[in-house]
Amino acid sequence: MSRREVAQRHGEVAPGPDEPVPSPGAVEQTTVTSTPASTPALPPKPSRVTATLAAVATGAVVLAATAGLNISWTELGDVPGRVVEYLLLMFADPNWEKLPRALFETWRSISMAWLGAIGCVVVSIPLGMLAASGMGPAWLRVGLRAIFAVIRAVPEVIIALVLLTVTGLTPFTGALALGIAGIGTQSKWVYEAVESAPTGATEAVRAAGGSTAEIARWAIWPAVAPVLMSFALYRCEINIRTSAVLGLVGAGGIGSMLSNYTNYREWDTVGMLLIVVVVITMVFDLISGSIRRRIMEGARVRDVDRTR
Amino acid sequence: MTIQSTTGGAAAETAAPWALSLTDVSVTYPNGTRALKNVSVHIEPGEIVSIVGLSGSGKSTLIRTINGLVPVTSGWVTAGGHDVTRARGRALRELRGHVGMIFQGFNLADRVSVLDNVLVGRFAHTPTIRTVLGLNRAADRELALRALDSVGMLEKVWTRAGALSGGQKQRVAIARALSQEPSVMLADEPVASLDPPTAHAVMNDLARTSSERGLTVLINIHLMDLARQYTQRMIGLRDGELVYDGPAAEATDADFEQIYGRPIQGRDRLGSV
Amino acid sequence: MVVALCAFTALTCWPAIGGVEIDLAGLVRNWSNGADKIAQLLRPDLTFLPRTVAPMLETLAMAVAGAAFAAIISIPLTLAAARPSNPNPLTRQLVRFCINVNRAVPDLVFATVLVAMVGVGTLPGFLTLFLFDLGVVVKLVSEAVDSADHPYLEAGTAAGGTQAQINRATVLPQSWPLFANQWLYSLELNVRISAILGIVGAGGIGRLLDERRGFFAYDDVSVIILEILVVVVVIEVISNALRRRLR
Repeated sequence: MSRREVAQRHGEVAPGPDEPVPSPGAVEQTTVTSTPASTPALPPKPSRVTATLAAVATGAVVLAATAGLNISWTELGDVPGRVVEYLLLMFADPNWEKLPRALFETWRSISMAWLGAIGCVVVSIPLGMLAASGMGPAWLRVGLRAIFAVIRAVPEVIIALVLLTVTGLTPFTGALALGIAGIGTQSKWVYEAVESAPTGATEAVRAAGGSTAEIARWAIWPAVAPVLMSFALYRCEINIRTSAVLGLVGAGGIGSMLSNYTNYREWDTVGMLLIVVVVITMVFDLISGSIRRRIMEGARVRDVDRTR
Repeated sequence: MTIQSTTGGAAAETAAPWALSLTDVSVTYPNGTRALKNVSVHIEPGEIVSIVGLSGSGKSTLIRTINGLVPVTSGWVTAGGHDVTRARGRALRELRGHVGMIFQGFNLADRVSVLDNVLVGRFAHTPTIRTVLGLNRAADRELALRALDSVGMLEKVWTRAGALSGGQKQRVAIARALSQEPSVMLADEPVASLDPPTAHAVMNDLARTSSERGLTVLINIHLMDLARQYTQRMIGLRDGELVYDGPAAEATDADFEQIYGRPIQGRDRLGSV
Repeated sequence: MVVALCAFTALTCWPAIGGVEIDLAGLVRNWSNGADKIAQLLRPDLTFLPRTVAPMLETLAMAVAGAAFAAIISIPLTLAAARPSNPNPLTRQLVRFCINVNRAVPDLVFATVLVAMVGVGTLPGFLTLFLFDLGVVVKLVSEAVDSADHPYLEAGTAAGGTQAQINRATVLPQSWPLFANQWLYSLELNVRISAILGIVGAGGIGRLLDERRGFFAYDDVSVIILEILVVVVVIEVISNALRRRLR
């Protein structure tokens, strides 16, 4: 550190009420000369070969993937410029004239999402409970879980897409598709929630001679209901997004409108629609999120009450 | 590797100890708690001072006003003549660079190697860009290794901090503070999380390394026998007020009872080992 | 509460205001039309498999590249969005807001708009995945960083470190498992999403799927779906294995 720097830093330390302030860097001044001194013997550094190999392998895969994209990297230079240009076209002066139509279509998307979520939750709660260990017979559990796993592995949109082509491209079939496509994940959440529920109440009902159905109703349901409600709301949040996507492939709603106006290249309208999608999604997330927090807090409070 | 030093021996000998001074210091936390009430105390360079009191008496607050971790509500704090109360930004960081600190919970990054944890002590003396790029100067490494050597932790230099025992962690934390080449050493309940034999060993290390370097030392401690054994002067705090200031060795049980505001109990002593 | 929910549900079924028209008869009608399509779906034509290899590799390339680039950019953004690593509320909230906006755009909507902007191909697909992953990783990791304990922050501050020094030397290595976990998760999601991006023209196996669907070649469609299923499961198995090793 040079003396000037020290002086500058010194200047930033406001002086005390009535005392002179020496520089905090002053002590360092004496230390800056290099004189060889004894170096403590160091244990050998552990080998990092595995980590290095893993890093090299990851790098190679990423490079290969990037090279395999067939993107002409020379054109990539214009991309930011073009994106900015389109962003200006979209958001500099969004076309609000079509807002009423957009809200109509938004309601259609929300309706699809909502009905789909209800269908999904209504089906997956009993199925998920049957698939939880200790509830249904083992063959049923294994079979159900396999079906859930398959539905989960195929992207929701593909399931919906296939269903839509079979049943026709209408908002109602869109809702149906959302309901069916969500069953895989939703049921998994249900059986995981049931399995992680405290076992005390289950044992109490069983000891009182309750059947499996009675255990489900009187021991498990009260314990997992808040969690399941929270998952149901989460399903709504997911469906809001997916319903817009289904619209893109023709099921109607805001997605269809967006897809159409993108094809017409009416960018000011596309900009308005994007704003609507983002705002609606964020507002829905906000509402759903706060309700979910309330439900979960309520559940916790009740848990505390029970232990008293 | 070479070490930067004019005096040839331990680099630390070059750091001159600082005087510390609190003038009418009060601290009120945002939740309304008055942690310190008009505390005035002056500590000479090289003094080894313990701050004794029950938990909640304001010990942690007092020690943190010295390096500005807790801003004071009113009053003055100076360290080595620098006004801590008004220091901001780079000046405050520079000042903190001269004040080593160790904590009850060790405050190490568990997934980071011992060496890198100790190099945290070089932050104030390292340009940010160097740290961000991971380019440590040889001189800084040398200081870190030396500090580790002085607490006998050199062979653990590549170990992750999380894999160490409590006593080893606190030694690494001492090394971190020493690698700052500090003028002042602050210790906030350094052995409260350790078992009695380890506590004595760590207190020994702390006292030895600090006195080798002639540092001004401030130790928060709630155990009366450790305060008597390892420190020269004792300051007693009760409910944020200074209630005792005198030589540690001469503090009687009655003095402790006055500080604690209750009769002495078994847990106020660590016990001999 | 129940009344409100029922009323809301009723409103969603009211076509005049945009609600969904529940038309079971139409469904039955369509379903009988669709029965032969289902039958065709159940007889995958495996001779089609070779033609799917190149698009599938393209899909995987998009998934990996998108996840990798997002992983790199996610590091500074996450540190800016988490309270322990960025005490400045203004910049923190700004980054969080941008990430929330980003997350509110459904993946295929990104792809649709980007295809219109930069043209059909893998580039819009890659960009979509990149943006999507950025949202997932920054949001989830910054929340995890927020809720974790960071005792070393105080030590770094006490040693006179700048926030950048503290972040680089302690917060980042300490949060590495959180990052690695989400990076792998985003890779898993990418494989699912990249399979469908082609539907809107963003390259990969989805384009082939959309094309065969357009030709009503459902035996080929089912081959593609089966292949996606296998690839998704394989990537999940790999990713789970890596996750265990990284702990």
